[in-house]
Amino acid sequence: MSNINGKVYAMNAITPMRPWKTWILRAIFFILGNVKPLQSDLINLSFIQFARWVIIPRNSFPFVGAPQQRELLEYDYLLFFSNFNGTWNQYIDAFSAVLSKGLDLVWKWSEKFPGSTPVTIFKEYITRVQFDTDYYYTAYPHATANDVKNAHIVQQTFDALNRNAATMSPDQFREAYLQFVLSVQTHLGATGEAPIVF
Amino acid sequence: MSKLNATDIQGFVLRGYNMPFARFCFLHFEDAESARKLVGALLSSITTGQLWDQGKPQSTLNIAFTFKGLVKLDLPLATLISFPVEFQEGMKSRSGILGDSGVNAPEHWDAVWRDETGASEVHAWLAVHALSAEALDARATDLFTLVEKIGGVRVLDTQDAASIVLDGNVTTKEHFGYTDGFGNPDYLGIVRKSQPGQGKLMPDGTWVPLATGELLLGYADEAGELPIAPMPHLLGANGTFMVYRKLHQNVGTFRRFLDEWSARYGAGDAAAKEKLASKFIGRWRDGTPIEISPNTPDSAITQDPNRSTNFTYGSDTGGARCPVGAHIRRVHPRDAFGFQGRLINRRRITRRGLPYGPYAASDDNSPDMDSVERGVVFMALNASISRQFEFVQQQWINYGNDAHVGNEKDPLIGNHMPGERFVIQGDTNPSNPPFVCAHLPNFVELRGGDYFFLPSMTALGMIAMNLVDPR
Repeated sequence: MSNINGKVYAMNAITPMRPWKTWILRAIFFILGNVKPLQSDLINLSFIQFARWVIIPRNSFPFVGAPQQRELLEYDYLLFFSNFNGTWNQYIDAFSAVLSKGLDLVWKWSEKFPGSTPVTIFKEYITRVQFDTDYYYTAYPHATANDVKNAHIVQQTFDALNRNAATMSPDQFREAYLQFVLSVQTHLGATGEAPIVF
Repeated sequence: MSKLNATDIQGFVLRGYNMPFARFCFLHFEDAESARKLVGALLSSITTGQLWDQGKPQSTLNIAFTFKGLVKLDLPLATLISFPVEFQEGMKSRSGILGDSGVNAPEHWDAVWRDETGASEVHAWLAVHALSAEALDARATDLFTLVEKIGGVRVLDTQDAASIVLDGNVTTKEHFGYTDGFGNPDYLGIVRKSQPGQGKLMPDGTWVPLATGELLLGYADEAGELPIAPMPHLLGANGTFMVYRKLHQNVGTFRRFLDEWSARYGAGDAAAKEKLASKFIGRWRDGTPIEISPNTPDSAITQDPNRSTNFTYGSDTGGARCPVGAHIRRVHPRDAFGFQGRLINRRRITRRGLPYGPYAASDDNSPDMDSVERGVVFMALNASISRQFEFVQQQWINYGNDAHVGNEKDPLIGNHMPGERFVIQGDTNPSNPPFVCAHLPNFVELRGGDYFFLPSMTALGMIAMNLVDPR
């Protein structure tokens, strides 16, 4: 029972929407989904592994038959799910500082959404609508998204060097090795324990 | 924004005094009444932010309190619990968060910071800055006479600090030989010679001052909010929080490391040594930013306030000029994390500090150079210790994910465990090779400190008169 596993935090937030507003959000999602540059700010926040918003219409909740009773829901729901590296505060601070327009566009259709700035009121809102994680598996608790991406780059670059190295002359290898180091030199960070959450 | 009420703000907050001598005195209050009496007696001689029309005074005086000091002063409970949690806890309790472990752990601190019984815990910081050693002694003597006369207050310890004098010139160098003190932020409303590179970066590439609330309580911060401050408003407004850290410098270890590793990095000569030293910090030892002048120090840049700290890292994402893990690129990343710096504007701190201890001459070969008492008294001012200082210390100095270097720490001031390294990015030029410094030792060790509240003049008056009401 924890939202945190090593360097990763899993956040779930569920917010109710008046059904007529859901259509507006669908249109916004269509545009955001098809105009990739609009996603760039979110993607460029490198400590976010992923973030996804999903609309759950009020008639789409699971019904498995009797004895479960059919529910009559008045609201559609917006599920927000994100995994990120760093602290909850750091994450929301960054969201508010960098993505406030985009967040407002997605969340303003939810009931009682106060806006993503000022940040303290936004944090209070997230606290109210956040659901804690029951079980959370992560393959690399000592690695962040950056670490994993860096490791892939180092591995691929090394494999390429390795493939060609056997046939190189010493001088060629010297040059190839230098190029290899230059290609990986910003990707050599160590993995390890996460800092203490505060 | 209009000008701040400088006469209500302690001068130490608004400006670095640039005085070559300082003495920091740590006080213990035996009882609230004596402590209030002392604050009242000092009130008229505390240095405010008022401009010095007649030139610099011979000496200055400032005061700040730990949370335990405010408890001892009998502030109302409702007021005490309205202070930010990290301030209530104090720096020792935050050592896990700050990464102050191993040699930096509290059990290795100076005795004055290790009190376990409460009988001699630090309650207040009194700072005297002076233009001369004589003025410093005179002011301190007056101060101690007053403390003695009032009674009920003990001076637990004093810490002297002084600018390093080289060839008869007062310098801004620290013990590793780096020129220090560039790049403190500008804030709205604070009268100061503004320099490009010191505030926050705008989308058009210009620099403007940060919101006042990043430094002072009672004003809007960069998020447009008032920083968390004690109740009542008058107690907090125009005050700030200070982090005091005594940082011991292992000069012998540093010089040996440079000797040894510059022989692998380059030819091991002075040029290689200076280049390696510059890569650690991001500035040549004379202060020239290597981002602007990667091949050579250039005094024309350091002397020009329009250039000395006016640069960004956008065209050097690979770190070939300034390594991505270099000290100044970590603690003031400018545009390095993208978004025109918007991720860093609420993580800035104002640094005040002075070296302490004797400077080791360049031909000093004594084997126990590390054990000589010398280092830097580091003081950081910020509106929120947790959001600003603690974040920078934890995330950017003792960790590296934002800089995309994983768990790598600041090479110079990080708290290194065995086997840690610093990657210096390079290019195809043989004089600027990619290089890995492995087995980093601890160049710097923490010898103690605490979190302090630096109140406004109004607040000091309220404290002295016992007029702090929570509402």
